[in-house]
Amino acid sequence: MSRFERKILFAIGLSVFLALGGAIFLARGALREVYSVGVNERFGAELVHGVEARRGQLMALRASTEQAADAVQWAVEAELARKRGTRRLAPLLEELLQRYPFVRGIRVASPDESVVASVSRPVDPAQEPMRVTTRDRMASSPDHTLHIAVEVAVPEAYFERLQEAGEAADVYSRLQRRSASVSDVYVWVFGVLVFVVIVVAFLIGAILSRRVTKRVAALAEASRKVGAGDLNISLPTSATDEISDLTQAFNDMVRDLRDSRTRIEYLQRISAWQDFARRLAHEIKNPLTPIQLAAQEIDETYSGDDETYRQKLQSARAIIEEEVATLRRLVGEFSAFAKLPEADLVPADLGELVQAIEASVPAMLEDLGGGSPVPVEVEVSAATKPIRVRMDPMMLKRGIDNLVRNAIQAVYEVKPEGGGRVLVRAYRTRDSGFIEVRDNGRGISEDNWDRVFDPYYTTRSEGTGLGLAIVKKVVLEHGGHVRLDRAPEGGARFSIELPLLESR
Amino acid sequence: MRPWLAVLVLLASVVASAQSSRPVRDMRFAWDRGAPKVSFSAKDLADERVRQELSGGLRKRLVVHVSAHVDGSNQRLARRTFSCDVTRDLWEDGYLVRIGTKSMRFKSLEQVLDHCLVVEGLFVGEPKQYANHAGKEIYFAVRAEFNPISKQQCRELIRPTAGSDAVGPITVSIVRRRICQAERDVEFRSEVVKVPQ
Repeated sequence: MSRFERKILFAIGLSVFLALGGAIFLARGALREVYSVGVNERFGAELVHGVEARRGQLMALRASTEQAADAVQWAVEAELARKRGTRRLAPLLEELLQRYPFVRGIRVASPDESVVASVSRPVDPAQEPMRVTTRDRMASSPDHTLHIAVEVAVPEAYFERLQEAGEAADVYSRLQRRSASVSDVYVWVFGVLVFVVIVVAFLIGAILSRRVTKRVAALAEASRKVGAGDLNISLPTSATDEISDLTQAFNDMVRDLRDSRTRIEYLQRISAWQDFARRLAHEIKNPLTPIQLAAQEIDETYSGDDETYRQKLQSARAIIEEEVATLRRLVGEFSAFAKLPEADLVPADLGELVQAIEASVPAMLEDLGGGSPVPVEVEVSAATKPIRVRMDPMMLKRGIDNLVRNAIQAVYEVKPEGGGRVLVRAYRTRDSGFIEVRDNGRGISEDNWDRVFDPYYTTRSEGTGLGLAIVKKVVLEHGGHVRLDRAPEGGARFSIELPLLESR
Repeated sequence: MRPWLAVLVLLASVVASAQSSRPVRDMRFAWDRGAPKVSFSAKDLADERVRQELSGGLRKRLVVHVSAHVDGSNQRLARRTFSCDVTRDLWEDGYLVRIGTKSMRFKSLEQVLDHCLVVEGLFVGEPKQYANHAGKEIYFAVRAEFNPISKQQCRELIRPTAGSDAVGPITVSIVRRRICQAERDVEFRSEVVKVPQ
């Protein structure tokens, strides 16, 4: 993992965990607040009061049943005190039964358990479950001692409701006592779930950031390679984001560096060759005149009669003079190459330059034909819109003249009877201006495309191999490129590309 | 050793040490046809507050868990649990105690406590659960609880419907566990005893 990646992950981790901490802190406060709203002392107290009230109700009901039993006892004792026997007990018990609704039955028995009087309510089978209890009393008079069993019934639900209220109050009291603990449970569960979500988010973030950091790491690695001198590197720029823009800028920079290095290397090489050409011209040029003069003097000062020898002298003089002339021409070309000035760039229109070349074409055709024009058709065209570039018109024209001359020679060699065609055109794209020179000759073998711009490389017997080197030097000094490939017509195509003035 | 195994061993030893760190209390044992019968008292569970609550007329629960463990390890050989639902009868004096489906009446709270918290000759497990441990040292652990709310009752009382969200059931189950735990408990263990051959 790179340092950059670690930093990105640290930043993601820090932000998400800060968010988690903040969320838990806020959630804790919010939950406690919400909890205290729902579970508070007032409600708890009311629930306890409710339980107490139910308990009080039951106790009161119990007291009522006891009082009812007492009332029955007193009524029976009062009846016995009247000394009318027990025959009027039944109507009395019936009356008492009607008076106390929760009394279900009354039974009066003698000490030997024989029933003296008994009343009871009919039991409704659909009635809710009842708790039935017997309150026992003893009624005494001087003549009798009777056992009174008062059967009371209250709904079982009264007891169940008390239990239910008690349970609810119990749970509520627990919730109240453990409010901090319960809200902490929610905070913990919330925290754990948020943590899980954050871990997932962190992983996704790490995966996504890795895509970026990988590209940055690739840029860093490529930069190291460029620093080590490898300028053939190029990174993919498929995405459409800032990193992709940066990568594209990096690729452009590396390409510019590569071009600059190639240009500098080529110009250094040309400079070395110019120095060599200067020395060579100097060393060859000096002895040429004495050689020619010596040959002339030997020929002219021979006074002998040997005609054969005279003819040999004349033949030797002619050969020497012809070779000296050839050497002079070579020296001239070397010298011109050596003295090639640096381009003096000014804003100008490529279209006008092409028109100037068109004007010189007839003279070129005549020169190559030795007085009569060679049968080669030269077509020159230029875009109507100005193609403004910075250029040295003289030098650039000289270079393009070289290309046109070479093209005419090339097609003339293969089509001396006519049919040869050379096309010169100037056009522009969004960022560059172009001059293209192409022909329908034999073309140049693809194996030689890289070498044709080297000085002294030529495929023609009388060539010096300096023409294309001069063209390349001139174009490079213009900040442009010259390329060679195959023309659609089958011959060679030279393209000069120069940066447009307005695109800078 | 694999990390998860190490964690498991560590957890087991922590639990074992927690078990064995319970206070030791005098307990009587008798082996009857290969199974132990234990006698002890956990009456100290009923402190003043517990007694007061038991006399309040609301149904309260007394639960006693007895378990047998191999000494020095967390291995539990057998477990026995019994509970008493105690209700002071407000209608008629006395206490109603329900153990399972059986109901009993007691005149006083002391009688209830003697019945529910003083254990006499309680079988803990069956002979087959001790058969493979003859000669080994074991001990009995007791946990007496006052008024734990049963799972079912707890579910009915605290958020009976779990809700439609995914988080609710998890949280509620934790809350239920905390809220419904016993209001008071007493834990102790016996001396070590050897399983007879």
